[in-house]
Amino acid sequence: MSERLTVTELNTRVKELFGSSPGLNGVWVVGEISNFKLYSSGHSYFTIKDAGSEIRAVMFKSARSRIDFAPGDSMKIEAFGHLDLYVERGSYQFIVESMKKSGIGDLYQRYEALKMKLEAEGLFKTERKRKLPQYPRTIGVVTSPTGAVIHDILTTTRRLFPVDILLAPAQVQGEGAARSIVAGIELLNRAGVDVIIVGRGGGSLEDLWAFNEEPVVRAIVASRVPVISSVGHETDFTLADFAADMRAPTPTGAAQMAVRDRAEIHRQLNDCTLRMNKALAAVTERMRARFNSVDAKLSPRRAQERIDYLGMKLDDLSSRASSAVRDRVSVMHRRLLTVEGRPEPALKATIQRKRGAAELLLARVEPAMRAVCVNNRYREQKVSVRLDALNPYSVLDRGYSFVAGPDGRAVTSVKGLAVGSHITVRMRDGKAEADITDREEYQ
Amino acid sequence: MSEEKQQIDVGSLSFEESMAKLEDLVKRLEGGNLDLDESLQVYEQAVALREHCRKILDESDRKVQSIMETASGEKRQDFSEIE
Repeated sequence: MSERLTVTELNTRVKELFGSSPGLNGVWVVGEISNFKLYSSGHSYFTIKDAGSEIRAVMFKSARSRIDFAPGDSMKIEAFGHLDLYVERGSYQFIVESMKKSGIGDLYQRYEALKMKLEAEGLFKTERKRKLPQYPRTIGVVTSPTGAVIHDILTTTRRLFPVDILLAPAQVQGEGAARSIVAGIELLNRAGVDVIIVGRGGGSLEDLWAFNEEPVVRAIVASRVPVISSVGHETDFTLADFAADMRAPTPTGAAQMAVRDRAEIHRQLNDCTLRMNKALAAVTERMRARFNSVDAKLSPRRAQERIDYLGMKLDDLSSRASSAVRDRVSVMHRRLLTVEGRPEPALKATIQRKRGAAELLLARVEPAMRAVCVNNRYREQKVSVRLDALNPYSVLDRGYSFVAGPDGRAVTSVKGLAVGSHITVRMRDGKAEADITDREEYQ
Repeated sequence: MSEEKQQIDVGSLSFEESMAKLEDLVKRLEGGNLDLDESLQVYEQAVALREHCRKILDESDRKVQSIMETASGEKRQDFSEIE
């Protein structure tokens, strides 16, 4: 006996049949739009027809955001989607997931085929990508001389880092565009630029087509100089973008990739200056520390004073020497830079003389101080010994005594010493008071 | 002490080379293995390099040219945008 079904059951079965049938899912339908209606919900309802037949179609709001044109009546399109049954009405309709203007389908297939082929060759591999130069001197640009690309690049580089720009004007759409772009890339490679930006403004898939052509992709790969692509809008990906070393979302972005911000480099230079000064100060500080270690070995007071004096002089001379040399060197270099162009012997001699003077300044650093500064333990010790010898107290260690008169001054002669005079005898570890009981003067 | 001054011809260096060299000299100075004479020498070179870099950075005149392939070879000319 045959099955008995409700209408709903039957339609539901048909719906399921549609859903499980590969021939009705994920297909392209070619035709013309009619009765197009866009509802406030964002969904569109229309008919797709050709010379022999027609089908009702729905495009939901979510799919609409994926297409880059506004569909309308009489438009020839290719719609991608699946067949579905609207159970309540028992009517079937084509659910459009994506849509293109007709003719483009062809291009799209070529794009996919070429992409697969070049990908298989490894042309899009990350390992192939070259690093951009940090500080390019000349940026080559392959684009239209009247488009937004060259304008944005000129504006942005003027602001960030005014490098030289070499433009290879190219036709960026239409017949012959690919040839023109390839010629531009090759020409700029010969001209010796440091990095190349190739691109054009936004447009339809057909407008951007040149950047999907094999010769352009191969020219980018073959370029000796790194290439930044900036084609169309952020969402358009061309094969040129895959092949380029960097892909910029906009021409401004391309310029930002190509050059560093000058202000940032200035900050880096200032940072270098701080580090240099700090390092030089550390050298002086280190010398003082070395000096202090000598100082520590010489406990007696006189030596202490001498060392304090030398230390002061060292600080003074070393800071004078370093700042004088620093100033003179920068003056000399500035002069050298201006003079270099015109070889005047007199000027060169002046510079030579100034350099000599700066060196003399260094040489004036007191020899005693230098001896202490040199990184040489032997010399350090020698100085220490010499200072020891100057120290009157050190002889007391060797058994000598120090005699002072009533006025506290050293007594070096018996002349003036009478019997009964009071003297003070200083030894290594103390002093004794004495009165003269006898005296004899050697002849 | 009186070793040959390895003076570099700063003017002939590219910006990239100068920056690299400068960074290198600053690191040597910071390394602290130099005596006063050497330190001053390195410092002097670093100052010259820094000034060279600043000079390049502050040079505001740049060339904007277009290049074209002609029958008689490459032809360059100044480029300015058509407003």
